[in-house]
Parts: sequence; structure tokens; C-alpha cells
Amino acid sequence: MGTTVLTAPAGWMLSSALGRVLAGLLLPVALVVLWQVAAQHAWLPPQILPAPVDVWNSGADLFRTGDLQGHVAISLLRVVEGFAVGAALGLALGVAMGLSPLVEDYVRPLFTAVAQIPSLGWIPFLMMIFGIGETLKIIVIAKAAFVPMTLNTFSGLRDVPADFVEVARALRFTRWQMLTRLMLPGAVAPIFTGIRYGLTHAWLALVAVELLASSEGLGYLLVYGRQMFWLDTVIMAMVLIGVIGFMLDKGLELVERRLQRWQVTQSESVAA
Amino acid sequence: MSDKTEWSTVPRRLGRRAFATLAAASLAAPAVHAAPAAEIRIGFASIGIDNRQFAGGSAAAIAHAEGYVERELKEVPATKVSWFFFKGAGPAVNEAFATEQLDIAIQGDLPEVVGRANGLKTRQLMANGAHAPTYLAVPPDSTIAGVDDLRGKKVALFRGTNNHLAVVKLLAAHHLTERDLQVFNMDEATSSAALVANDIDAAFGNYGTLDLAARKLCKIVYSTKGDNRAFERQATVIAREAFVAANPEITQRVITAFVRAADFASQEKNREALFQIWARSGRTADTYRADFADQTLAYRNSPLIDDFFVEQYRVQAAQAKDYGLIRHPATVDGWFDTSFLHAAVKQLGLAQAWTRYDKDGNKLPAI
Amino acid sequence: MTERLRRAARGLVLPVLCLAAWEAASRSHLVDPRILPPLESVGATAATSLLHGTLAFDLLVSLARDMAGFVGGTIVGAALGILLGVSGIAERLVLPTFNGLRQIAILAWIPLISLWFGFGDTAKVMFILLSAFVPVTLNTYQGIRSTPADLREVATALRFTWLQRVTRLFVPAALPSMVTGMHLALIYSWVAAIGSEYFMTVGPGIGGLIISGRERFDMDLVLLGMLLLGIVGFAINRTASVLETRLLRWRP
Repeated sequence: MGTTVLTAPAGWMLSSALGRVLAGLLLPVALVVLWQVAAQHAWLPPQILPAPVDVWNSGADLFRTGDLQGHVAISLLRVVEGFAVGAALGLALGVAMGLSPLVEDYVRPLFTAVAQIPSLGWIPFLMMIFGIGETLKIIVIAKAAFVPMTLNTFSGLRDVPADFVEVARALRFTRWQMLTRLMLPGAVAPIFTGIRYGLTHAWLALVAVELLASSEGLGYLLVYGRQMFWLDTVIMAMVLIGVIGFMLDKGLELVERRLQRWQVTQSESVAA
Repeated sequence: MSDKTEWSTVPRRLGRRAFATLAAASLAAPAVHAAPAAEIRIGFASIGIDNRQFAGGSAAAIAHAEGYVERELKEVPATKVSWFFFKGAGPAVNEAFATEQLDIAIQGDLPEVVGRANGLKTRQLMANGAHAPTYLAVPPDSTIAGVDDLRGKKVALFRGTNNHLAVVKLLAAHHLTERDLQVFNMDEATSSAALVANDIDAAFGNYGTLDLAARKLCKIVYSTKGDNRAFERQATVIAREAFVAANPEITQRVITAFVRAADFASQEKNREALFQIWARSGRTADTYRADFADQTLAYRNSPLIDDFFVEQYRVQAAQAKDYGLIRHPATVDGWFDTSFLHAAVKQLGLAQAWTRYDKDGNKLPAI
Repeated sequence: MTERLRRAARGLVLPVLCLAAWEAASRSHLVDPRILPPLESVGATAATSLLHGTLAFDLLVSLARDMAGFVGGTIVGAALGILLGVSGIAERLVLPTFNGLRQIAILAWIPLISLWFGFGDTAKVMFILLSAFVPVTLNTYQGIRSTPADLREVATALRFTWLQRVTRLFVPAALPSMVTGMHLALIYSWVAAIGSEYFMTVGPGIGGLIISGRERFDMDLVLLGMLLLGIVGFAINRTASVLETRLLRWRP
């Protein structure tokens, strides 16, 4: 596999856990060092790449004035609010469609049409109707979370493994029992996937709407930085957007794992 | 010269050029051209209504609209001119300069200073569209009566343009900062739409707001005209240093064409004709009429870079730093290259056409 | 009526009701017709744009950029994905950085790309390329990583050279995954194409159409643009699904 000549360090990097972590850090650290040196010696014009130190300082300056916290807070607040609305609606619709083929028949085509238009396409239309205030942002973010949530909830309820359904029928489950013992527990994992996708999409939609129409937030910082040629601010905002997006998803991943462990113990207790 | 930018041809040319110049830039060696440029790319930090490929309000706009530059370049048939109009205004021009996709630009003071502070190698060649006012516009039924009423309001401002610096100074004079307002960064078209839709409470701007007011879609509650002269916005014809060094003859021809246009634009007898030509940008002639009201054309459209003008730029650069709009200071020393301007004025015999001012703003006797 | 027809008919009820309500609200001026123009108005605008305007051109330009970015992204993504999949060293060194960088919301890259590539189509295509190359890289990498052990053994037994391993073993094994990655890339690049038109210099394209519509308060244009976005997105998705099934059908 891969390299034919395994030198000692390479071998160590491939095998040990510590080696793996260090190897992963090698490239970014080397890049940052190279970046700093290049900026100091002006190998590239400063408009192309500001010094990493400047990026850090611009973040530190904003932090000192409290501005950074303000922008991060408003972005997070918008995401949380929009996501809550969108996920709740998505859950409701997904459950309705999943449980009732009739509802599915009526709603699915319209839902698909709405889902087909990306959030970016909705923003100008919604801007014309709702203006550029907080309402707009919540609605856009809610729509972004609503679509994956609905889809995953719906398929989670529908895609119960056939053999489980047969066993349930053999055991003569009532409709209620089908729902509470079979479909809902089975749907928990896909619903959670829907939550994760929903949050990811919500975060992406937040950036989009803040780039277009905002007076504060991380997307706003990106625009501000770009207008003023503050490349360090732009990069700092990018890093924060990446870090926060990552932490939001990682946080949910941890919750998901907890949930899976809980689910396993639940099913064990049911079986017992 | 084309009315519509040939979109089909522009992108491909720029694509190859951008890649090539990016590679060259990364070698940290300015590209030295052996032969005169086959194409001059001139850009305006503005665009017409509905993205019309026309500018207004300055001599250079006349030069473009009436083909002055093309005429001046007739004797150099190998060279053609491409005109660009940047919706993103000054900041977008800086991006174009940084990637060497533009040779000459018509740009305002703040973005020029920002570019210089960030290491862009440019040369200031002549004044163009200087001494310009800024306006505060509000929806027609708004209760906002002036700058003092803006605290906490949603205000549209195009950051990074020379409007931005003027507004920052204006706010400071009223004991306000940008943070006391809810500032939305919007270009002219967006802020016009937002004003009309009542999405924002107020907008700072120039021709866009005037045009809206002329159409009765907003009202102007404040103008820097008549207020402190320090609020005037300056603008110039600026060029990439490398381009000027490699193409002095072509640069001279372009400047001569612009000075010719400045001469036309400074004579009062041409006042109406001027507004009509500028109206090709889609803004009404009334817009320009209102903007130039109570001012002589020679004052607004003078191309001269005298001591007073340089001093204005020194002040702008210093204040940009003071207000935190630039991180590193920018000097004006060595930035202005008036040789082309002087040669043009001499060639056209226009030494008496415009007033010169000394460093303190006093009129100098005619040469 | 057969069951299928009945179900299909049910599906049409809501959309038709919505459109009827819209038309009624617009005609009766219950809602400002500038916000919700009557349907014929949208249709008329569509027809005029198509026949006398630049609609076809805008669509073509958006699609052209989309394809350019998609193809570029696929090539770069496949190359990087193969490298990461084949070389353990490359994986350990590069993958964490790649994973870190891809956390940054794609739209957040726009200011940087604008500053690096200036104006014009290059910058837009670069942005589209960036959004396309991520899923292709990931899926190619994962596809290669999950090459069945027995196939690897066969390659070792046959003493494949490095190049043969890549072309005869890894790429074919990763193909299903790669194709899925390309499907995703197609979807992402269409959205990125529109995003590039919103946030980078003005030019022809469907995104530009929508922005113009918003600036001029021409809801017809905005709705038309949205409709086209959805239709083209749907068409791309469908085509990609069909191609994916076709391409992978011959695989056991």
C-alpha cells in the first residue's frame, strides 16, 4: 500500500496514535510558519496574504473591544432560533408524512418543489417580502433546517426494516404499539441525522444571509473586511466560521453517540 | 468603444491573464513589459443604473462616453481600450489592481489610500471628480431630519468608498461613530432599493440618492455642500505603477484625452450638454444638475493636482488611519506623478483654464 | 381511476390551490402586486426574456461556469482523493488539514477568492471548483480506503506496480463512491454557481438575473430566476441520478 520505502519516521507516523496526531499537525503548522515567513519577507504582496500574526491580532483587537463576542453571539443566536423553528416544523411535517400516506400524497410534490430551490435562491425573494431585519434571517435559516429535517424524519418513519414489521405483525401489534414500539424508536437515529444535517444547513444559510443583508454577525465581518481590504479580518472571520461550524456539528455528534448508546440499552431492556 | 461590455470576450482574456499574473506576482517580481501594451484596461469605481456600462459626474466619464481616449489613441493602432465599470466601487477596483487585471482607474480617496496602505503600487495622475458632496437620504415619509437623528437607526453605507470616509468624519462632527448606528454595507443599487422598500431608515450616498430624490422616491435631508469643506470627497485618475513605467507614451495619451474632457467639462457653456451626456448612465440629468448646483464646473472638474490637492490627500490618509479605516499608515510622498498632467495641460494650452491653490487653500496667481 | 392516478392527483391539489390563492390575492390587490405579481405577468416576463432578452444566454453562461468549475473540481478532487487513499503518509499529513479547511462554510471563501482572483469569470469558476472538489475528494478517498482486502491481495500477488495499483485496483474499486461524490459535486456546484453570481462581480447569469430583479423591484424576474434555479437543479439532480445508475449498473 502506498509508499514502497518506509522510512523510520514515516513508519512511526503511520502506526502510533501520537504519531498520527503529530503528523496531522505537521502540515498546518508548517504552512502557518511558511506563511508568517513569507509575509515578513514580503514574498507575496500583503493584499494577497497578510501575516498570520496580523490575523491573530485583528481577532484579539475585536475580542478586546467586545465586538467579536457580539458578532459571534448574534450569529449563534440567529442559528439557534432559526434552527429551532425549522427543525420543529420539519419534525412535525416529517411525522405527518411518515405516518399518513394520505398526507404524503398531498404534501410531497409541493415540498419537493420548495426543497429544490436552494436557500440562496430564496433569499432575494424573502428579502423583498420581509425586508432585511431579523425576521428574514430566522425564516431563511428555518427553511434551510426544515428541508433535511423533514426528509430524514419521513424516511426514518418509513424505512422500518421489513423483517421488523413482519415480527410486529406476527406479534399482532396494535397500531399504537406499531407506532411507539417500532416506528418511533426506529426513527430516532434518522431524525437525529436530520438534526445534524439541519444544523449544518442552518449554519451555511446563516453565512449566506449575513453576507447579503446584515449589520452584525460573522458574515457581516467578512463583508466589512472585504470592503476595507482587511484580509486579516476576512481570514479571522473565516476561521471562526469554520471552528464554530465544526463545534456545532461535533457537539451534535457527541449527543448522537450518547443517544445510540442509550438506544442500545433501551432495546436490550425491551428485549429482556 | 462599446456600449455593452463584450462579456463573451472579457472573461476568457482575463482568465488567462489573471492566472499568468498571479504566477508572476508570486515570484515577487513586477512584470516588465518589453513592448507597449496591446490593451489598456480602464475602470470606473461606479456603474450606471441597471448595470449600464456608463459612469457620470466627472470628466473621465465624458472622456469615455464621447470617445476621447479612443481618438487620442488613433495614432497607436496596435493598442485598444477596454472599459470596465465596477458595481463594487473603489474596493472592487482595488481587487482588480491587486490581481493586475486593471491598468488605470477612476477611484475615490479612501479606497486609493486603502490600496496604498496595503502595498498596492500605484501612481496618482490627475484629479477627477474631486470636491464631491455626500448626501443623507431617507424614505419620503421619514421623521429623520438630519445626522443627529441617526442614532440606533438602520443606515446604508458603502464601506471602503470615499463616501465612507466622508461619513465617518461627518458622524464624528456630530459626536457619533459608526457603532452608534446599525450600518448595513450596501452598494448604490442595493441601498436605493432598500430605501424605496423602507427596509432601512436612511442611506448615505451620492448620485444614487440624488436620482431617487429626483424621482420623488426619497428625500435628501442633509448635504455636505455648504458644510465643512473637510467633508468633500476627493477622487483621481490612478494607475498601476508598473503600467505607467512600461507605457509612458500611452499613459500620456490617456491623460491628454482626459484633460481635454476636463476642459470641456469645466466650461459653463457646456453645463447642460454635460448633464445630458452623463445621463447616459441612466440617472436623470436633474440628478447631475442638483449635484453641481451652486458650484462652478471648473471647481468640480479641475484636473489639477496642486499643493492644496496633495494636502487634501495627506489629510485623508491621516484621518483614515485615525479613524481606524486603515491599519498601517499611508504616505502621499512619491504617490503623485504630475508629469503627464503638466505635459497635457501644456500641449493643450490650458495653463489658464483652472485655478491653482496653495497648501492652505489660497488661490495662487495664474501662471 | 387507478390508485396511482389518484395519488398523483392528490399531489397536485396543494400546488394548484397555492397558485390559485396567489393569483387571487394578486388580482384582488389583497397583496401588493409588486410583491406577488399575477402569474401571467411572470409568464409574460419569462417569454419576453427568452425571446427578446438574454434569458437563454444567462442560463447558458451560468451552466457553462457550473460545468467548468465542476469538471475542474472533479479532476482536482479525484487526484487528491487518490493521493489520500493510496498513500498513508499523504493521508496522515494532509487529511486533517483538508478536513479542517472544509469546515469553513463555502460562501465564506468568497472574499478571499475575490481578493486573490479579482473580477471576471476566473474567480467565479475557482469558487465553483472549490465547492465541487470537496465531495469528490472525500468520496474518492473513502472509496479507495474501502477497497476489499481480497482484491488488494490479488494485486499484491500479481505484483502490480504502483501505477498499476492505482489504475487497475484502486480507481475501479472506488468508482461507485467517486460517482456518488461527483453527483454531490454536481449539486454543490450549481448552488455555488449562483452564489458566485450573487457575491462576485456583476455579469450575465441566472444569479445576476435574480439580483437585478431584486434591485429593480421586479418580482417577475426574481420569481423567474427562482423557478429556473429549481428546474435546472432538479434536472441536474435527475440526470446525475440516471447517469449514476447507468454507470454503476455493470458493476456486480
